[in-house]
Order: sequence, then C-alpha cells, then structure tokens
Amino acid sequence: MISEKKTGFGNKILSNKIYPIIILSIIVFVAVLLLMLVNSFTQEKIIAEREAKVTNILQKIYPDMQDFELKDDIYIILKDGDVIGYSFIAIGKGYGGEINTIVGLDKDYIVKEISVLSNTETPGLGTKILEAFFTDQFKGLETQDVKLSKDGGKIDAISGATISSRAVTDSVRAAIEQKVEIIKSKNY
Amino acid sequence: MSETGPSLITIFMSMALINNFILSKFLGLCPFFGVSKKLTNAISMGAAVTLVMVMASIATTLIYRFILVPYKVEFMNIIIYILVIASLVQIVELFIKRTNITLYNSLGIYLPLITTNCAVLGITLINAQANYAMVQSIISALGGGIGFTLMLIVMSGIRERIEFADTPKSMRGLPIAFIIAAILSLAYMGFSGMI
Amino acid sequence: MIEKQERLTAKKFWQEFAKGIVITNPVFVLVLGLCPTLAVSNSLNNALGMSAGVIFVLLGSNIIISLLRKITPNLVRIPVFIVVIATFVTILSLVFEAYLPPLYESLGIYLPLIVVNCIILGRAEVFASKNSVVLSIADAFGVGFGFTIALIIISFFRELLGTGGLEVFGKQLFSIPVLAESPMSVFIMPPGAFIVMGLLLALFRMIGVLKNE
Repeated sequence: MISEKKTGFGNKILSNKIYPIIILSIIVFVAVLLLMLVNSFTQEKIIAEREAKVTNILQKIYPDMQDFELKDDIYIILKDGDVIGYSFIAIGKGYGGEINTIVGLDKDYIVKEISVLSNTETPGLGTKILEAFFTDQFKGLETQDVKLSKDGGKIDAISGATISSRAVTDSVRAAIEQKVEIIKSKNY
Repeated sequence: MSETGPSLITIFMSMALINNFILSKFLGLCPFFGVSKKLTNAISMGAAVTLVMVMASIATTLIYRFILVPYKVEFMNIIIYILVIASLVQIVELFIKRTNITLYNSLGIYLPLITTNCAVLGITLINAQANYAMVQSIISALGGGIGFTLMLIVMSGIRERIEFADTPKSMRGLPIAFIIAAILSLAYMGFSGMI
Repeated sequence: MIEKQERLTAKKFWQEFAKGIVITNPVFVLVLGLCPTLAVSNSLNNALGMSAGVIFVLLGSNIIISLLRKITPNLVRIPVFIVVIATFVTILSLVFEAYLPPLYESLGIYLPLIVVNCIILGRAEVFASKNSVVLSIADAFGVGFGFTIALIIISFFRELLGTGGLEVFGKQLFSIPVLAESPMSVFIMPPGAFIVMGLLLALFRMIGVLKNE
C-alpha cells in the first residue's frame, strides 16, 4: 500500500540527494499518523481501564459505598451523602521501582484496608505484598502502628522481601500523615 | 520518605550499585559479553556509553517535559527517544572525529553500536517512568553509566584471567561468563539493604 | 537474485521457518536479544507475553521493510528500520496497555525496549531488506518462534525452581509439595537468570559437541 504510492516519482529523482530525506520524512509522517490513529482507538480504553481498577478496589474496601468524590487526590467515600471514609494512593519506592498502594481509611482515620495497585517487584517474592497475609496486617491499625515490627510497629515484613514490605509500609504511613492533615485542614 | 522524592545520592547509589544496569536490570548485556575481553576496550566502551546516556537523558527529559507532556503525546515517546539517541550518537561520532582523532580511533568502532544499546534507551525510559527532574535524571544517567563501566572493567579483568583457567570444554567462553555474571550479581544483591 | 527468490516454493518457506527455530536460534545459537531474554524470563507468563510482542513487531517490521526495500535509499536505511520498528512497538505497547494491563505492568520498560532488541533490527538488515515479503514472513515466524521457545525453556526452569510451581494466565498448573513451601527464590531474581542461561548454553554446546564428534 505504502510502496505503490512512492515508486512512481521515486525512480525519477533516485539520484537526487534530497530523495533519501523525502523518503524518510514520508515514512516518519505515515508512522506518526498511524500512531495517532491507534492512540485514538486505545486511549479511551486505557483511561477507562485505569479508572475501573481504582473504582473496583474502592468498592471492595467499602462494600456499602454509593458514590465518591475526588478532591486533592483524595477519594472521599460517600453513603447517603455522608462521608464514610477516605482513600488515596500512596507511592513508595521498592526494589524494582514505584509501588502504588491504595489506602482506605474509615472516617476516624483508622486503616480499613490497603490494596497494592501497581508494582514492579520481583515476581513470587516482592509481589507477595499483593497477598492477603501481608495486606490484612494493616486492618484496624492507627497511623503510628503502621511500621515494620523491626522498626517498632505492628507489621511483619515478608521474609526475603524486606525492601518491598518496608516500601509499602512506610509509604502508607507517610501518605496517611500527609493526607489526614489535608482532610482536617480543609474539613472534607 | 519525603515528598520531594529520593535524594541525589540515593539515586546515584541506587543506579550504580543496587540496581546495577547489567547485574540487576539486564541492560547493555551485548557489550558486556561481547566486548569485554580487554581492559582498555572496556573502559572506552563504558566511557562512550556513559557520555551518550547523560546526553540522551538531558535531551529526552527536555522533550518529555516541554513537548510530550504539554501536548499530551506521551505515547510518542519510544519513536522520538530512539531517533534522538540515533542522532546524538551520530553527532558525538562526528564531533570526536573532527576534534580528537586518537580518541576516535579508540572509541570509533563502538560508537555506532551504542544506538542499539538497551542501556541508553533504558535510562531515558527509567527517567520518564520515575518522573525525574533535570538534575535527577542527569545523576541517574551518570550513576547508571558508571555502574555499567565498573561492571565492564570487573568482567574484563576476570575474563582475562579465566582464559588461562582449566574450564570444562562445554563451559568455555560464554557459558562461564554467564556463571561469573551470576556470582557477581549475587554479590551485588548484598547492596540492596543499603537504602 | 531477488527474482529467483520470488519464485519460491512452499519448501523454501518452511526452510526459512525451521532455520530460525533450530539452526540459527536467536537466543541459544546467536546469543542475541539478551536483555529481554533474561529480564522477563522470571515467569512463564511474562515470557509468553514478551514472545507474543516480539513476534508481532518482528512480523510487522519484516513485512513493511521488505515492501519498502526497493525504494529505501541506502543512506537512510537504518533510520527507516528504526522508525518502522518503533512504530510497531508503540502500537504494541498501546494495545497491551489498553487490553492487557497486568501484562503491560509486569513487562514494564522491557516492552518499549523491544525497539533495541538486536534480533529485530538484525533481521531487518540481514533478511527483510534483501528478500521478498513471503520469505520475510517465514523468517519472522521462524526467528520469532525460536525466541519464544528459548524464553519458554529459560522461564520454565526459573519459575519452577524459584517458586516451586508453574502458573500460566493466572492458573496454577502444578506445584511441587516441598519446593513450593521453601522455593529457591534466587532463581527468579537476577542471579538466577545468569545461572540458568549459562548452564543452558553449556548444555546446548555439549549436545552440539557430541554431535560433531
């Protein structure tokens, strides 16, 4: 398809020095157009996929959630117009890269549940931070207890994956401290 | 961890030692196993890659911040980055050829290979993924490049010696090089508790 | 020469196909494309995802480069290859992000890094830019499957020893009782990749040596 278009004039100015540049420009142009096209098809799906993922997790943490509002990167969970909790994303630096964790607090700022949204940890080892035996430890904790037990808190690190465990725990605590302040000051 | 992200020293140490390009990210393996038999070659190759990595990081961070993000065309990053890297390599090659012919003679053959070195495209993608600002991306490129060079040097030293060792016939050459890399990588995992 | 190849038979097609898988296996014989081979072989799932990606890009780039071979000026040959390959990689990355988000995340930067996979640029330069479209397709499939087989072998050993079981598309195939409780997790970490690759290379060389003698 692409080749037919160019062979016609291509032969005439084959010796020309400009010819290579023209060909390269045309190819780049076609490539960019093609990518724009593909992007326009997939973009909606990509955004929807991301939102659906967060909404699903929120629904799981707050089974009686009816609606939520997003203010200052904080999801304010609503039921019958009343606030029943706050949720936000904590970003930690793990062994392989960023670990994003969704933190769910109830309205008294006690941890209800956490859920790891995305990570690039070592499969089968660091990725154990996704499993319930680790994340369930966070349930019902107050901010100051969200620390690894070797740092004086109540979370047991996964053996062999201390860095990943610490990244999640510390980022969750830091995020709670920071966001609760915002929630209190802005009175959400 | 503060909001401003990791400190420059943390980034540098993490890229050079803990997340070493070769031993833990598997980037730039072809020159690692292919070129690294002589020490001088290893140093030249490492220096050339580090130079291109730093330059590519500067260029792509600018492009990412001021073109891709404002115009919401982040999906174009792969094609733009690889073209930037290819042109940078050409420019560096021309520049060295014009200014310093001895350096060109020692680096020359490695320069075209750098375009397809995963380490260069890798560092630009890592910088974009971590959303590093200019100084941070330069430091991370420098750290990555130095870690890469260090490994090339270590490996060339070991391989120069292993030539004289009595390795089993089927293990000679590449297989034993992989086993050496495994042991080095195991040793480097000890750094992971540092930060 | 090109005309002669254009009159190809089915036999020639299968020859090119088989060559990529066995005789010139990109991973075990030519030792190319090491970065993705070692990086994503920590689980069978990732290995399959990466292989599918590489086959798609290889097929696409081989077809387009073969189509463009008569009008591509020698001077800008490599930039043209790179643009074509990068385009297909971007398409792949967008599609994976939209339809297979978990795989997209676990492949991470190694998905865009397919651009600099020596195998693909190598096939463009050595084969597709000199041969007809049909032969280039055969070549892409041959080399692509060769890559897939290598990745499956490596990830099979790494996941089995490193986690004590095998898992494909979220389904647990089987797990070995004692090993699953205390797996040798070093195998799914970077050193394991080097060990398995080194030993496999030695093994294939040994088989090769035996054949020759």
